[in-house]
Amino acid sequence: MGHLAIRLVPVIKHLLVFAGLIALWELAAATGVIDVILLPEPHKIAASIWELYVENRTIYRHFIITFYEAFAGFLVGGVLGLALAVGSSLNDSFRRYVSPYAILLNVTPGLALTPIVIAWFGFGYSSKIALGAIVCFFPVFVNTLLALTRTDEDTLEMFRSMGASRAQVFWKLRVPAALPMIFAGFKIAITTALVGAVVAEFSQATAGIGVLMQRLSFSLNMSAAIAALLSMSLLGLILFSLIEILDDRVVFWRRTERMDAVGRRRRARWSVTDAATPGEPQGRKNLT
Amino acid sequence: MSDEGDLGAVAAKGRTRGIVARHAGILVALVAAWEISCRMGWLDPLFFPYPSAILLGFWRLYITQGNIWPHLGLTMLEVLVGFLAGSALGIALAVCVGMSDRLRRYLKPYVVVLEATPRIAIGPVIIAAFGFGWTSKTAIVMLVCFFAPFVNTLNGIVGVEPEKQSMFRSMGASKVQTFTKLLWPSALPEISAGLRLAMASALGGALVAEFIASNAGLGVLITQYTGTLNMASAFVCVLTLSALGYFIFRGMEELDRIVVFWSDGDRTDAMSRRRKAAWRAKMGTTS
Repeated sequence: MGHLAIRLVPVIKHLLVFAGLIALWELAAATGVIDVILLPEPHKIAASIWELYVENRTIYRHFIITFYEAFAGFLVGGVLGLALAVGSSLNDSFRRYVSPYAILLNVTPGLALTPIVIAWFGFGYSSKIALGAIVCFFPVFVNTLLALTRTDEDTLEMFRSMGASRAQVFWKLRVPAALPMIFAGFKIAITTALVGAVVAEFSQATAGIGVLMQRLSFSLNMSAAIAALLSMSLLGLILFSLIEILDDRVVFWRRTERMDAVGRRRRARWSVTDAATPGEPQGRKNLT
Repeated sequence: MSDEGDLGAVAAKGRTRGIVARHAGILVALVAAWEISCRMGWLDPLFFPYPSAILLGFWRLYITQGNIWPHLGLTMLEVLVGFLAGSALGIALAVCVGMSDRLRRYLKPYVVVLEATPRIAIGPVIIAAFGFGWTSKTAIVMLVCFFAPFVNTLNGIVGVEPEKQSMFRSMGASKVQTFTKLLWPSALPEISAGLRLAMASALGGALVAEFIASNAGLGVLITQYTGTLNMASAFVCVLTLSALGYFIFRGMEELDRIVVFWSDGDRTDAMSRRRKAAWRAKMGTTS
């Protein structure tokens, strides 16, 4: 019980600070320090959130559409970035001929391509997915390439001296060593993909949170626009935590608890196979 | 001895020239393939303009019509002012926050939420608040440029080893000395990285702001050209942006080398030579 109280104290303090800030904001709006047309009072924003999520339920459709666009854009851009980076890491001349174009794509602000991408792919979802893919390609590409080429020399030497094949070096050494950095790239990429999707929606679209927000703020319904903006933060957080969960699953050796769990599971599997063929240890064949 | 060195240099020069020639060859082949596939009708020139038309577009936009200059100037102004103001604000605020443990603890949740929000998404709200002119674009660039320096500066200051801090304290350093001699230099590499990130997103921020609502700037020019399906001219604008982005990137890298001089061996040596000379001049030429 005392333990719980100790853990609750900082939360309560945070909430008090939050309430204080909100009260200050309300006060500033009431006394006219803040222009309520441009920055509405918190209670109006809360009312708009209620309206968007509970009364009218308009936001869900837009929310899901933008989620889909951002995620699909991330998948397309991420797969392209991964494939090109793996190719570049395996073959030097491939890298030499691909990298100038990758750099060109990086120094071009991808969002500048918005009107062109919309002209190419039309007003529907595909242009938003394409823009998301363009802007999130580079973080994945560069992180994967750097991670795959920067393998620890000593470990590589050891793998070689034990006669590991090229495929074994790649799958057992380079990929696992690169995974944390690849996921760091994914984390950057998924938020950039969201930006790409939203910006494309600002430009030309009929549905999506970007459109909703633009419509609301241009009709000076600022409280609802800020509610939509907060939903976009929520969307960003959801997308980000999806990658984070995946990261935690795949790079299991980063956290001790997950490391232990996976170790227990593998040990259990090991003993099952051992029991099936007693006397001859399984899974060690490729070492002899 | 010198002959050998010369030969080696010549060989190296020949090699790099060969590599450049091969790259150029591939580029020319790609462009030629593009041109041919446009002419043969495999690519729709309405959407993928002829490379030759893009070249002509450069000539037209920069020289005969010269209509790109005011737009380019305006966009660069927005980017520069927004970047300077936004990053200065970010660094200053992070320094204030970083010096106080309590402030940092209470601000952290807000920073996390703001980080998850796509910054550019605030665009429409800011345009509604500041109007359609260049101030709203600068404000958006400022906002886009605020976070990376803020977060990186904070991380840099917080990441200083406690051992070093306690050493400074045990030697009786004042708070100002601890900051200027320990916290600030240790945070500089990260601050510089943050500035690079901010600058990279500044250009995109300005363009998006111009896409949303504006009457001048490169973003407007691109929208107008694409809207009238004058794709060659739109590509000229995009390639101009690529060049701009490249120069910004190189400039920031150069700045990083100058500011964080100790991350590069040669520059460290040069700097210590200079400091030694300055020291000697100050102490008189006794040693």
